[in-house]
Parts: sequence; C-alpha cells; structure tokens
Amino acid sequence: MTNETILHLDVNGQTQTLTVEPRVTLLDALRDHLELTGTKKGCDQGQCGACTVHVDGERVLSCLTLAAQVEGRKITTIEGLSDAGGDLHPVQEAFLEHDAFQCGYCTPGQIMSAVACIREGHAGSDDEIREYMSGNLCRCGAYPHIVEAVREAAKVMS
Amino acid sequence: MRDFSYLRANSVEEALRAAAMPATMLLAGGTTLLDLAKCGVAAPELVVDITHLKGLDAIRVDVDGAFIGALAKMSHVAADTAIQAQYPAVSEALSQAASAQLRNMATIGGNLLQRTRCAYFRDPSTFPACNKRNPGSGCSALEGVNRGHAILGTSVACIATYPGDLAVALVALDAVVHLGERKVAVDDFFLLPGTTPHKEHAMQSGEMITAITIPASVAARHSTYLKVRDRQSYEFAAASAAVGIEFEPDGETIRDIRIGLGGAATKPWRARAVEDALRGKALEPDTVKSASRLAVEGAIAHGGNHYKIELAPRVVERAILKTGAMA
Amino acid sequence: MTIIDTKMKHGDASDGILGGRLSRIDGPAKITGTADYAMEHFPEGMAHAVIIDSTIASGRILAIDSAAAEAYPGVLLVLTPDNALPIKTATDWTGAPPPAVPYEPLARDITFSGQHIAAVIAGTFEQATAAAALVKVTYEETTPISSFDDPRSGEGYLIDMMTKEWGDAEAALATAPVRIEQEYRTPREYNVPIEPHGLIAHWEGDKLTLWEPSQWIDGMSRTYAEWFGIPFENVRMLSPYIGGGFGSKALPTRYGAVAAIAAKMLDRPVKLAITRPQTFTAFGGRPATRQTIALGATREGKLLSIRHRGANETSMDDVAVEPLGSVISIMYATPNFSSRQNIVPVNTVKPGALRAPGENPSAFGIECAIDELAYEVGIDPLDIRLLNYAEEDPSANKPWSTRRLREAYAAGAEAFGWAKRNPRVRSMREGKQLIGYGVAAGTYPVRRTPGEAMVRILSNGTIEVASSGIDMGQGTYTILAQTAAEAIGVPVETVVVKLGDSSLPRAPVAGGSQLANLMTGAVHKAAHAARDELIGLAINDPNSPFRDLQANTLTIEAGQILSPRDAGSSVSIAEVMRRTGRERIEALRNTLPEEHQNDKDHFRNFTTISTMKSPTEGDYSLHSWCVHFVEVRVDVDFGTVRVSRMVSALDSGRLYNPKLAESQWKGGIIMGIGQALLEEGIVDPRHGRVMNNNLGDYLIPTNADIPDLQVISVGIPDTHASVLGGKAVGELAIVGVAPAIANAVYHATGVRVRELPVTLEKLI
Repeated sequence: MTNETILHLDVNGQTQTLTVEPRVTLLDALRDHLELTGTKKGCDQGQCGACTVHVDGERVLSCLTLAAQVEGRKITTIEGLSDAGGDLHPVQEAFLEHDAFQCGYCTPGQIMSAVACIREGHAGSDDEIREYMSGNLCRCGAYPHIVEAVREAAKVMS
Repeated sequence: MRDFSYLRANSVEEALRAAAMPATMLLAGGTTLLDLAKCGVAAPELVVDITHLKGLDAIRVDVDGAFIGALAKMSHVAADTAIQAQYPAVSEALSQAASAQLRNMATIGGNLLQRTRCAYFRDPSTFPACNKRNPGSGCSALEGVNRGHAILGTSVACIATYPGDLAVALVALDAVVHLGERKVAVDDFFLLPGTTPHKEHAMQSGEMITAITIPASVAARHSTYLKVRDRQSYEFAAASAAVGIEFEPDGETIRDIRIGLGGAATKPWRARAVEDALRGKALEPDTVKSASRLAVEGAIAHGGNHYKIELAPRVVERAILKTGAMA
Repeated sequence: MTIIDTKMKHGDASDGILGGRLSRIDGPAKITGTADYAMEHFPEGMAHAVIIDSTIASGRILAIDSAAAEAYPGVLLVLTPDNALPIKTATDWTGAPPPAVPYEPLARDITFSGQHIAAVIAGTFEQATAAAALVKVTYEETTPISSFDDPRSGEGYLIDMMTKEWGDAEAALATAPVRIEQEYRTPREYNVPIEPHGLIAHWEGDKLTLWEPSQWIDGMSRTYAEWFGIPFENVRMLSPYIGGGFGSKALPTRYGAVAAIAAKMLDRPVKLAITRPQTFTAFGGRPATRQTIALGATREGKLLSIRHRGANETSMDDVAVEPLGSVISIMYATPNFSSRQNIVPVNTVKPGALRAPGENPSAFGIECAIDELAYEVGIDPLDIRLLNYAEEDPSANKPWSTRRLREAYAAGAEAFGWAKRNPRVRSMREGKQLIGYGVAAGTYPVRRTPGEAMVRILSNGTIEVASSGIDMGQGTYTILAQTAAEAIGVPVETVVVKLGDSSLPRAPVAGGSQLANLMTGAVHKAAHAARDELIGLAINDPNSPFRDLQANTLTIEAGQILSPRDAGSSVSIAEVMRRTGRERIEALRNTLPEEHQNDKDHFRNFTTISTMKSPTEGDYSLHSWCVHFVEVRVDVDFGTVRVSRMVSALDSGRLYNPKLAESQWKGGIIMGIGQALLEEGIVDPRHGRVMNNNLGDYLIPTNADIPDLQVISVGIPDTHASVLGGKAVGELAIVGVAPAIANAVYHATGVRVRELPVTLEKLI
C-alpha cells in the first residue's frame, strides 16, 4: 500500500540507510527514523528555526526539506558538531559559558545557526549577529547571551 | 501531507515533461511547496525534484545586465558582489526576506512563485471559501481579519497580498522572467486577481522558470529597498519600496525613476504614477512627499488594513529620499 | 532516569556554593543534543496520534464520517466521542472533589474553535496526519460570541473574592482636585514555548508510563491515575527536560487523556504531538483583559483614591480569573480604594496561566495610569512613584518583609541616566527617530508550598539529590547541586541531581515562582540530615581519628571531614563510608509542618495547590519588586517602535545563582517587550477563530528586536520569605515592562496607547 523508498543519507559523516515514504521530511527522518533527536521540532512550518541543520555546510530548515531531496548531500546535525574526541565546538563552549539558553529546546538550532553565521562572515558586529541569528526564535529570551556567545566564539574561531 | 510520488529530474526536459502532467508540482527550495502541503493547500500526487539539475544556478553580471538562474539560492544572489554593486535593491530585498536558513534553501524561481500569507487561504479545513483555492467559493478576508491584506490591485474576489520582497525590486527594475525560450516582463508575469484570483501568474502548464534577467541601468545601480514591518526581522512587509533613480547631469533633476511597492498590493506593484510625477523634477522633499501620495491612488481598504493607505506612501517617500541621497 | 554529568569546568571553586555563578549543570546535555525531551523516546511498537479540532466555535457535531480515514494505509483507530474508552472525571488542581460523571476529552458540543473532537492513530506520523485530513465532520452551527467586545457577551459576572475595598473610593474621587479615568486593554496572549506540547503514553497492564513535559509531575500524575481509576503509584511520569512552559505545562490536558485512552485501547504506546497551530487552542493562554482605572489625587500628585473595574474573558463552561487587582492594590499608598472584577464567558478555550497571570496586566493598568497622572500634574514619572510609595502593604495592612523598590528606583535611574530626560513629550529626536524614556514598576508575590527532597551520600563520596520537581530552564538542577554541595561541604562536581520523575520524592507545581525557594529549603534540610548522619558515622567508627569527638566540632570541606582540634587529620567521605561499610546514607526530608506529617496531607500537599500559602499569610507581606527604565525609538513616519536601551533593577531577595537568575529576568523582560510591541491573538469575530495561530503571524521577538539589557540586583536575603532568603524570580521581571514601553512611547510621540500591543497603526 505505501509508497516507501530506500534512501541513503550522509549524516554526520556516516551513511544511513532508511526506508521511508517520499513525503517524510529530513526533520522527521532524523528524529523518528534515525533517532537523532538533537534536531528539534518547534513549529514544523519554517517559522522558528529549531530544526536548523547544515546541508553541504549551509544552514537550512530540516522541516521544509524532504529527506529524499538531500540524498548525496552532506548533512550535519548537532550530534555531529563536536569533534570525534567529543570535545565541544567553540560555539557550544561559548553557549555554556554565557548561559545562552534556558530550557534548551531551541538551542541545537541556535548553535547550528551560530556556527554557520560565523562561517558566513556575519558575526562582524553585535547588530549583524542579531540580524543573522533572527531566524532562530527563543522564547526563554536568551538573545542577549546568544549574541555574547556568538561574538566570543567568533573570536576563538578566527 | 497527502502521500505523493517523488521523481528526481535529471534534465530540464524531464522536469518539464513531468510538470505538464496533472497534479504535479516542481520542488526547488521547498519552502513554499512543503509549507503549503502541510497546510493542506497544496496536494500534489507527484513531486518533481529539480534541485539536482545542473547549470540552473548561475549568477552572471555584465554591462548589459544580470542573468540569474532559477535555482540560484536567495542567499547566494544576495551575497554576490556584482549584484550588490549593480543592483543594490535586489540584494537588499533578498537579505531582508525570511531568515538566513530560508534564504539558503529558497531559489530565485521559487521565490517569485511564493504564495500569499492570507490566513484564510492557508487554512482550507476551517475556511473552505477562498476564491484563490477554490474559484467561485467566496472570500473570507473581505469582511474578516485583514490587517495584512492588500489595498491595491484588489478585486471583490480577492484581496490577498503578494508577500515577496525580491519581486518588488525586480518589477521596479524591469526584470524579465525566462520560461525557457519564452520571456515575460515581471510586471506582466504577475496577474491581478480580478475574477480569477487562482491564476496568479502567466506561466502555462508545462513551463518552468529557468532564469530572470535584469537590464543594466543607472537607476538599477542607484537603487535601494526599504522594508517596514512590526518585527525587526523574519517577517513579511507591512509596506516596502524598491526605488532606483537616475539624475540628469545637474545631479538634481530626475531623469529616470523606478518605484516598486510591496506588502500593499495583490502583485508586485509598480508605482508608475509616482514615477511620472517625479520624472523631470528636482528631488525636493515637498515634491517627493506629494508625488508619493499617488502610490495609493485608487487604493481600497477593508478595515484592518486602512493604515496601509497612510503607511505605503510614507515608505515610498522615504525610499526615494534615501535613494536620492545616495545617488 | 537521568543522570546529569557535572564533570565540567565551571570557573573558580567559589562558583560551587550557593550564590555563585555556576554554569548550568544540565547545559552540556542541552548543547550537544543529548538532553531527552518527552517526545524523544521510542518504546517498541509506538503508534502516532493526530488530534482533529472543531472548525466552528459554537454548535454541535451532527456526524463524524471516518470511513475514508479508517481505510487509509496504516490507520489503526479513529477515536471519536462515540467509541472512546470511558474515563472518570478527576479531582481538580484545587483539590475539589470531582463530580461523578464521565470525563469526555473529545467534545460533542462545541464551545470554541479548535476544540478536540476526534483523533486518528496510525503507524506513522505521516499516515496519521494525512488520514486526519480525510475525516469529515458535519456540524449544526450557532453564532459564536467571539470576544468580550461582542455586545452579546454582556458584562459577565462579578467574582466576589476579587473585590478589595477600603475607605470610600467613590466619594474621594468626587472631591479629588485632580481626577483621571481611562480604560486599559491587553489582548489574548500565548505562551508559545518552542517545544510544542504532546506526550507518549505507554500502558503495561494497569501501569501507565507518560513521557510528557510537565511543570507539575505529581499533580498531573494524580489526574491520570484518577481518570483511569488506577493507584497514583501506577503512574510514572517522566519529564527531565521541558522545552519551555511559562505556565502552559502545569495542568493535564484533554489531548493527554486522548493519548492515554488510545494507548489503552490499542494496547501499544501512542505518541501524540500537538501541532504548532493547535498550541493556540489545545489549552489557553492569557485571556484578553480590560480595566477602567480612575485616580483621584491632589494637585501635587498625591493619590487620594483609586477605583478599578476589571474584566477578563473566560470560556463558556468554566471559570478563569486573571487577577487584575493584584498590583494596583499594593503598589501605591492610597486612603481610598475599590477594585472589582468580572469575568465574561465567550467562545474560547479556557484561558490558562501565562507568566505572571494577574500581576502582568494589573501592572499595565496602574503603571500607565500613574504615568498619566504624572503628566497631568506636571511632575516626573519617577517622582510620582516615590511620592506615593507604599511603606507597608496597603491592602493587607502588614509590613513588607523586604521591599527594596526605593533602592531599585535609585539604582535603575542612575544606571539609565534618567536625569537626562527632557520632561516634555516629543522633545527628544535623532533624525527620523523620536526618542522617549519610560519607567514602570512591577511586583510578584512570594508563594510558598512545603517541599520534599532525598539526599544520598554514596560510598564513593558522590552526593545524589532527587526530586520530582522540574527544570524547564529556571536552573533547578544547578541551584540544588549548589545547595547540597554547600550544606554538606563537597565540591559541586560531586553532586548528581535527578529531577522530573514521579518515582522520586514529591514536589509541588513549578508555578507562582515558588519552586526554587521551596526546593532549596527541602534540599538544605535533607542535606543537613545526611551530613549529620555522616558525621555520626565518623565519630562512632572505632578506627576513626575523630572517634569520641563532639559532632559539632567537625567540619566538612571539599569532601574531607576535618577536626579543628587536630589540623593534621582529615578523612574523605568515601573513606568514612568504606571504613564503616556503608553503601549509602539516605535522608528523605520534607518541609511540611509537624501536624501535617501524615500520608493524606502529604499527598494533598503535592498533588493539589490547596496548601500553597498566600504572600500575606503570616506577619509580613512578601513580594519581589522591580523597576524598568526604557528608551524607545519611534520612527516619526512609520510608527515602528524599537526598544533601544533598557535598564531594570530588581529585588528578588537573595539570588541562589546570579548568572541563572539574570537569565530568567532577561527572559521575562524580553517576553514583556514582545507583549508590549508584538503579541496579540487576533480573532475573527464571525468565526471565533484565532487567525494568527502560528509563529509567522503571532509574532514573538526575534534576536534583532532585543537590545542589550542591563539588570541590577538590589535584593537582600529575606528569611521571612524563604529559608535561604530568596524571593520570586521567574515571573517578576515581565511585570512592568509593557507599561514602561507604552509610557516611553507616549514620551516619544505624545500618543498614549492604552491597548496592547503598541503597533505601528496606532501611532501613524
């Protein structure tokens, strides 16, 4: 009855094989099928940024991406951000140090977005950070601390 | 989302063949298609993925103009230094749209085709009546919650606002949409709702956007995009304006002026009355102010959106003065 | 069971003690994506449920045609009011005994748009979602009363217990030399935590496991137990991490019952995720409010009388009171006062609690009104607040335990540069930006419920703290580790904190900003008991160097037991445990009064709010206080308002961890900025439908909307308020933000906006 296909996804450097319907989003493939739940579902309609992952190094919303669409692309999630030895990424370190989160639910998306923001060269000033981090909503109100964390992490990474 | 089949197109021809079939939709960035599929507005049986097509994402700028492939990402076009230098309004419109993530996904072709944010349009299970979705069924927005709805280009059938930013800059700069070999001016590409609000653009079945071109001009080089909204970021425009100006050699008299108005009309709106009133005039604040009022000539408000009749001309006015100061 | 790994660098050692700026110990799990939120569990055989809501606001269901959905691939069950397993009505949160009628979480009679009427359960989320769209419902629709602005809603009815009166407000107003009267309004506002609601329900025989984000494990568990007629102990609720709640995750919901019913009927685990649009109607946010405030004063601005009439929307079939008289009755001294409140039933979901319910809109009213009075009599808005400063609680006639509001005014004004304000409206400008300064105060009561905690000392020297209390970002994990570390005398890194599990010792609701104070109190007590037992072991061990010493002469520092009389000898906790052959020392303590140390009172304390003490129970009136100084920039042509600068000075008593308390304050302030400028549930009056039920249309602030925020703590330890001296933190800082911004907008533009949010069309 169902219309399942076999997909091979490159997630955090590993090839993952999964059998899903074509309508399955990358977000649901990660969370429900691969049990990589670090990527969060906040709205499922492209309006909050909690599901941010990297595809070929660029930040995108996994809720508006079909899993089938990203076969052959490199997908990086929060689980793949730390290095192999388990050391935290400088952005993760900075988030902890600056208390850039409270409930933690938007946090993986914020961190993935922040890593890309710095890499894109959009962390040049506090105002630029604010604008380029505005696709990630935080209801706990950690924004000023997120700005601090991105600013400090950008220094470390440069 | 209803179930659908998925086809990854390997060539434009294959994509076009598939697109000509009923209940088929092309998938580019996915930011509109998947959003609307989740809302129940779009219900394709076949989704044709064109994101793996090669060669449709070029960005080329030369003395004659800019050529932007349909699959170029919004973020890449916004960051292109030649676009920034020669078409600042285009770059600015793109970088103020949506969020960084969405701009990394959405393509130029898909961006033009984004659909209205009308809440009645987007909720078919609660509001079966929508002339855009279901021709002849009625319009819930006319007497409803319509703070974000259009004041220009409306009809008794539909007052839904065209939500995009990029197309506002493109309509001002006389850009052309390429549908393969067929070329259509952006202003003609988008249709007024009239009695057929379900027909939003001039694309025929079996066609797809392959590129847009923007002719080079002094006005394009001296252009800007101004967006006004409730929230500082990540929101559609309450009103926006793209303005390009070319002065006479005296540096004061307007030789050429192009004005696009966004957030206030049913399609990307060219404010030709304002242009006509200013062409040949000196750029004086009072002249600009009175000319800008013409942007809303014939505007019709429906209650909640009445403020746009006041706001839109002010945005146009500020954008003209800002562009004039830069030129 | 969640074990929090605290092996993180935290700066210097003093961070570990209470009051230190320790980074949150649950942080590593959150920044690496390993924190397990409720919906992130995968019990074998789990099915997916999708709720179907009414699309009309008033009427009744004639028929539900589920044939197409039932035939859809993967569908296991279409649940309707007709086939749902019957369950019982449960005790409500106040402890009131339930009526002996069945509880029907799926409605037949419709009283609001978005009411749950059916559910589809299928093998996958995609199948359930698609099949739900195939269910056809026919209704008999009646015209809804969509809001309290609909004339048919009438005036509602008076809530007697909200009436507060002293003196003769009416007579004093009539003779007051200066009199102003205005109406202030706030719209429906929503919690919108970024983690949407939902749960996984899993039955094993008559035992029910629930993974559900919860601000109140024990209260919600009780409800599930009573719904299904099973013992309380048979419900296991797990909620170690919660992706934000702000009041919306404290009480059981109808969809929770639906998921548990479906799981029981199908005999397999069911995951039910509420969609983002459903988070606007599956439970209520803050109701719309209106208040008419009349102030009578001398020509110098001294208050003579306050008359206050408030109303909030409620649902057609239930009572929700947003206490609008809470701040206006205590902020200023006045000899004459009258406050009354109505509630007005309309076709909405029952409103719920959203950060500082009552205090928030109450402060919007009085703090705007006092600002208007300041301009009316021509004095500085800060001076009028000092002129009318309440030296004691004017409503309860009791002294404040601590009220550092005067200090807050001084510290905030200094840091902000209030003295540079030009008193004239529309007098400050930069280019196209009109600049305005505004000030407003806020307050939040100290509420108190007894708590409970287990503290264990393990044989390896590890300290374990356990409670069903929760951490949704307030910092419970961290401050409890600090409390135990300090009480016992160990490095904070050796403390492991377990929370959010109904199998652990009980805790009352994480609401009313009470949890930090009551939990630190309980952990402090249990930790001292464990420490006493440890010292007893050390003294009684025949081989111990401390043998026969007096218990009170020993100290514990950095996990080493020391005797001051013999500087050379020290023994580690692990060593004492090894020598005495103890596996563990365990101290379970609660802070219930002696006369309530019985099972019935114990259960009632943690599963109802009936034992929560009001802020004025006892000899003092207990409150936190704050003041916000705001600079806004208003575009002279567009009416867009941006907060460009903000300084807040706050008195929350002692801060257990200033780093985390500052985060909570700033979070409240940011939510207040959203409330002031953006947030509004917009209802279609014809359909009673919340039209902007998503995060693209119900706007909350983005990063770009928020400037640097300066927060200043002016609190001192208040041991009347709590054992360790803290007062309310979490809900305090939002109170007063919206009026401070509205007042600043008036100063900038000369336009007084009395109806939130302050959107651009109100200013052009």
